[in-house]
Amino acid sequence: MQGPVRIQLADFSHDEEIRALQAGSKRIGGIATFLGCARDFSEGREVSEISFDAYEPMAVAEMQKLRKEAIERFGLIDARIVHRLGVVRAGDSIVFIATGAEHRAPALLACQWIIDQLKERVPIWKKEITPQGDCWVTPHP
Amino acid sequence: MITVLFFGPVAERVGASRLELEYQSGMRLQDVQAHLQPRYPEAFALVTLAAVNGEQVRDRSLPLADNCEVVFMSKFSGG
Repeated sequence: MQGPVRIQLADFSHDEEIRALQAGSKRIGGIATFLGCARDFSEGREVSEISFDAYEPMAVAEMQKLRKEAIERFGLIDARIVHRLGVVRAGDSIVFIATGAEHRAPALLACQWIIDQLKERVPIWKKEITPQGDCWVTPHP
Repeated sequence: MITVLFFGPVAERVGASRLELEYQSGMRLQDVQAHLQPRYPEAFALVTLAAVNGEQVRDRSLPLADNCEVVFMSKFSGG
């Protein structure tokens, strides 16, 4: 199985990520997941594709820090974070986060915390490709 | 030599993802920015963050070493 923190061009399988999390410990009683997808509509425009750019060494290092911090902060048993790069078509998966804990509450809280922190801290930029032209996305909540 | 990298919207406005500057003794991060900002004002209008050798740097007076990697970045929009 691949590592728990990755940036990759290829699509990922949420089932495989969840299976990897479950395979690591039988103490896990709850797994929460977040799947970020490419929307086909944004700011009143149709979006056909989204292109991602990243400062990869810093992005991976920051995602690894995020995973470690989340495990410590929420008492998780394990967590996995995968983000795609390159060009993603509308409807495709972009980012997947899975958090495993003994109980549901820390898993759910940690999952939201990781995606919120990822947006703030991980050097990745997205550009929406639309019939009217391309546009880099301005961050929003 | 100092390698300066740009990504996403900043790279697009610079028209390049990588530049090289000659290292001068005593050079600080703010000197690199002061050198580049007038040449690429539209790109630097987006810059809110900087990193040196993969670590985010808030203090622009940080001294630089020869062969270091500097990145000027806009706000992130991943996820």
